[in-house]
Amino acid sequence: MRQRSLIAITAALAAGALTLTACGSRDEDGGGSDNGGGGTTVVIGVDAPLTGDLSALGLGIKNSVDLAAKTANKEKTVDGITFKVEALDDQAQPSSGQQNATKLVADKDVLGVVGPLNSSVAESMQKVFDDAKLVEVSPANTNPALTQGTKWNGGEKARPYKSYFRTATTDAIQGPFAAQYVYNDAKKKSVYVIDDKKTYGAGLAATFTDEFKKLGGKIVGTEHIDPDTKDFSAVATKVKNSGADVVYYGGEYPQAGPLSKQIKAAGAKIPLVGGDGIYSADFIKLAGASGTGDLATSVGAPVEDLPSAKEFVANYKAGGYKEAYEAYGGYSYDSAWAIIEAVKKVVEDNDGKLPDDARAKVTEAMQNVSFDGVTGKVSFDEYGDATNKQLTVYSVEGADWKAVKSGTYTG
Amino acid sequence: MSGVGPVEPGEGTRAWDAVEPGPPLLPRMPRGRLARLYARHRRAVLTSATAAAVLAGGGYLFATRPHEPPPALPPYPSQVVDVAYLGEESPPANAPSGSFSFALKITANGGPTITIVRISQPYAALTLSSAPRPPFRTRTGFGHKIVVTMHVTECANVPSNARLPFLDVTLRNTRAIEDHSFILGERYAHDLSEALQVACSNDSTSLAKQ
Repeated sequence: MRQRSLIAITAALAAGALTLTACGSRDEDGGGSDNGGGGTTVVIGVDAPLTGDLSALGLGIKNSVDLAAKTANKEKTVDGITFKVEALDDQAQPSSGQQNATKLVADKDVLGVVGPLNSSVAESMQKVFDDAKLVEVSPANTNPALTQGTKWNGGEKARPYKSYFRTATTDAIQGPFAAQYVYNDAKKKSVYVIDDKKTYGAGLAATFTDEFKKLGGKIVGTEHIDPDTKDFSAVATKVKNSGADVVYYGGEYPQAGPLSKQIKAAGAKIPLVGGDGIYSADFIKLAGASGTGDLATSVGAPVEDLPSAKEFVANYKAGGYKEAYEAYGGYSYDSAWAIIEAVKKVVEDNDGKLPDDARAKVTEAMQNVSFDGVTGKVSFDEYGDATNKQLTVYSVEGADWKAVKSGTYTG
Repeated sequence: MSGVGPVEPGEGTRAWDAVEPGPPLLPRMPRGRLARLYARHRRAVLTSATAAAVLAGGGYLFATRPHEPPPALPPYPSQVVDVAYLGEESPPANAPSGSFSFALKITANGGPTITIVRISQPYAALTLSSAPRPPFRTRTGFGHKIVVTMHVTECANVPSNARLPFLDVTLRNTRAIEDHSFILGERYAHDLSEALQVACSNDSTSLAKQ
């Protein structure tokens, strides 16, 4: 009897341990975007630079969308739907972006696209998506014309494409916000303005310049650079000779980093200021030690400071992604989640199934999407712009960007 | 009796007084020291093993029990405060000549009580005062009307027509103290520009230096 009791106790304990172990392992199963238990697969397309100079930002976008899809599959956010991610590389080139848009339109499972990073790439994609009524949500485009039309600055706002939305704030706010900070807080009164002639860079430089002049600041020089070169010694000398006490650069970090370094090397120990396009860890690496004190504005409040972002940061880490989520991680997650919410609404309104005209219905549903996302409340105004308009000024301190001032547009 | 007695046992059969134990299932192993020890203290060993197993199981269950999540930190004050522009107001009677006033609505939408520590504007050529005067506490969910009054100290350095002027507000709750800029939008920008033009116009009776 004693032996039998021992066997029974051991068996019970072993069974209990096995059960507990099984429970534990079930919790850890991610339920990836391509292996969920749903009956219908919906593809969320991603278009971003996955290779090349801007790949740090692009891979952060791709990974964050992947995390959103996995989370939706794991939580069965949309009953009967499994989300899958199809990421295409645009290499920051408008022509590649347009080819990718055509490819994504051709895949009938694609019901929404997150991207692109660059405003110039977005210009080449918008019509392709709009003709197919395929919704596009950019986490990073800041050029105002994409949502408000080319005459936005003259007060004539007209939305060009109903299928285009973005979770990022526009340069109509970012440029003036930077100008106000540089003039009033940093007390810099004369600026040398440089841009890369691209849609994003030139547009941002223009909104900065306009506000800086209105505040009473002086533009002591302007220059356009060729983004295909890394030798900026000529423009660095011009900056030095101008006597400017700050440089504003409209463009991205692959050029901004070396430009900052070369301006300081030429003898002008003045800060370089840029927009969200330079807000990357790679800028600090490229600018080197002399980049300390350089400034960047970026869209949104610092992700790490938002209570809503804590879970995203933890899940991203747990997801084991090799690359950092970078400047647009939170916005990319929210862009993907907006698509998931729109799909959910469409499915629920159609007795739990996708309708035949799912793309048009998802685009329509996107206009009224509203949820608490990583970056705060996510919803869109009549132009497709994010209603949550926050900005932060960051300063290079050692090897990191440090937030120095945040603002909210409440107009 | 019927004469039918018990059946006589046949060949090879025996009546047993007791059931004979069957052959051992396993060949008997030579008994070692441990086995002898076990045989001698079987009760104690079994009790100890069971106790150890129960303790281990209990320990595992205790270690893996569902944890109460730590209490969530309150939000940063800037994430729960809205500042909206309401419009122009008449400046207070005791304000210096050339002053102008605007009304704002400050609303704390959640979290612990938020104190408005300071309201300022970034232009060096302007001074700002407000009523009520900071610091003051807000009531969550309630829109507090604040009247800010500005006075030009140096017309030469006022912004002519800034597109996105903002107000800096210092906010404090149990989580943090933060300086946050509130960009009040186009209507505020327009009204501010107009008020500055009036305050600094040639026929103005403003005390501002030209």
